[in-house]
Amino acid sequence: MTIATHTIETTHFAHTAAPVRTTKISRAVKSEWTKVRTLPSTWRTAVIAVTVSIGLGIILCISQADQWATMTAQQRHTFDPTACSLGGLFLVGAVLLGALGVRAVTAEYSTGMIRSTFTATPTRRRVLSAKAAVVAAFVFPVALLTAVVSFVVGQQAFVGKHLQVSLGSPGVLQALVFAGVAISLVAIIGVGLGGLIRHTAGATTALVLIIVGGAVLGQFLPAGFRQYLPGTALEAAVTVNHSAGLLKPGSAIVVLGLYAAIAFVAASIRVAHRDA
Amino acid sequence: MIEAKHLTKRYGKTVAVDEVSFTVKPGQVTGFLGPNGAGKSTTMRMVLGLDTPSSGQVLVDGKAYRELADPLRSVGALLDAGAIVGGRSAANHLTWLADSNGIARRRVTEVLEIVGLGEVADKRVGSFSLGMSQRLGIAAALLGDPETVMFDEPINGLDPEGILWIRNLMKSLASEGRTVFLSSHLMSEMAQTADHLLVIGRGRIIADASTDEIINRHTAQSVRVRALQQTELAEALVRHGASVDRGSDGAMVVTGMDSAAIGGTASAHDITLVELAPLGSSLEEAYFDLTKDETDYHAGQLAGSSKGI
Repeated sequence: MTIATHTIETTHFAHTAAPVRTTKISRAVKSEWTKVRTLPSTWRTAVIAVTVSIGLGIILCISQADQWATMTAQQRHTFDPTACSLGGLFLVGAVLLGALGVRAVTAEYSTGMIRSTFTATPTRRRVLSAKAAVVAAFVFPVALLTAVVSFVVGQQAFVGKHLQVSLGSPGVLQALVFAGVAISLVAIIGVGLGGLIRHTAGATTALVLIIVGGAVLGQFLPAGFRQYLPGTALEAAVTVNHSAGLLKPGSAIVVLGLYAAIAFVAASIRVAHRDA
Repeated sequence: MIEAKHLTKRYGKTVAVDEVSFTVKPGQVTGFLGPNGAGKSTTMRMVLGLDTPSSGQVLVDGKAYRELADPLRSVGALLDAGAIVGGRSAANHLTWLADSNGIARRRVTEVLEIVGLGEVADKRVGSFSLGMSQRLGIAAALLGDPETVMFDEPINGLDPEGILWIRNLMKSLASEGRTVFLSSHLMSEMAQTADHLLVIGRGRIIADASTDEIINRHTAQSVRVRALQQTELAEALVRHGASVDRGSDGAMVVTGMDSAAIGGTASAHDITLVELAPLGSSLEEAYFDLTKDETDYHAGQLAGSSKGI
């Protein structure tokens, strides 16, 4: 490969450097979207998250169908075929897609590229807002697609037991859309953790602890507390058959939204006041 | 145009930049010279609004950096060429920068051609050599066609061809009337590139003058002399107020008198000169003269010994 070394002609290109008229926040959003879509790891992560979530969902559904004969009447009564088919998404997909939010911030801090970003867009809150918006907008359709495919495929496992529900069954569409919303909120929590912690490994670990670890810790807490944990709220957001100890889906989305807002605001304040 | 007024940055009790005031003017290359740790990078980060000054301020074109509309159109900066997420192509890296300041995307192709990276526009930047990364960093700085450019140690790790290229680029940017601000700890490079110098040591500006002026003011003119009657000449020169050092090869290095005066003295004493050569003074000498009290770490002061080894 050769590189021309003596091409220092004029550097004035006033005509091509002329401004494209857009607002500040839309420029930041466009820039962050360019970053997200031009990083191959974004697409690799999405493909892995979709396939692993769908695969794990199928395994969970098959296993539940197999256990049906041995379940108690109580277990049969609360069994939720929709939530079961989305199990892969909210157990693994949430963390993988949430990590996209983490890395949107930490990849730049760990390399030092964040300085270029803040030099180009000195209003740091705007940078973080654009990152959150772009990551959420990318994650939502991916999570929604994963939810729909997981649901449709997962229900096939229940056909033999006549337990399957369809897209038209009450509450199913809401559960699928809420799955997309909930995972997007997890990704915003990821952006917030990234801004607070700045290191990929640390912030990803924190996200896993919050989503998965919360569920483990929750078993030792009274149900009144447990239902407000992020992991439990995530589970509640995709239920159709309401079960004791879980928030109603709408309330669960509100709770997750509060977590995302707290993480985002804390990160905005921290990032704005720290030397980059 | 960059103006710093009493710019100060403290980290706890350490003062990294201490009440620094200077103006970097357009139309010339201004070198920012100082040893490692003197405060060059901290000052540059404050210019870009990345670090907040503890007190004082720094303005670009009369405004604080954070007040600039589309800052990449006013200031182009290269701080650390390696500070880049490696997964993107060179063109895509410049595209997100262009998008952030509303710069048309065809400008990306133009600046890649200017820095000679046109052929590798679609290659991952993670696979770039240091020299290519420096060129990409410069392309990023030129993206918004800014009136002010600022480069932190731009020739680090470059081959001689790359150094020559950067030197010519700086000069051509300055000749177009732009403000060019360039930091380095390499004096020989500064002597060849910079028209004006800001010398910084331990966070304080210790010289702010043209490169020629600094060299002339801070180096003693010395002359290398050999004569058949070496001892007699030395005595005569000392009587005339010069100081004489004996070189290892038998020649004398005379300071305090110029060649004509030494020649005159020799002739008055019937001494035959066999060599009389004025020694060129360098920025290096001027720099050591300026910073001898300012560097944090002197050779020979290791392990707590203040007397040297």
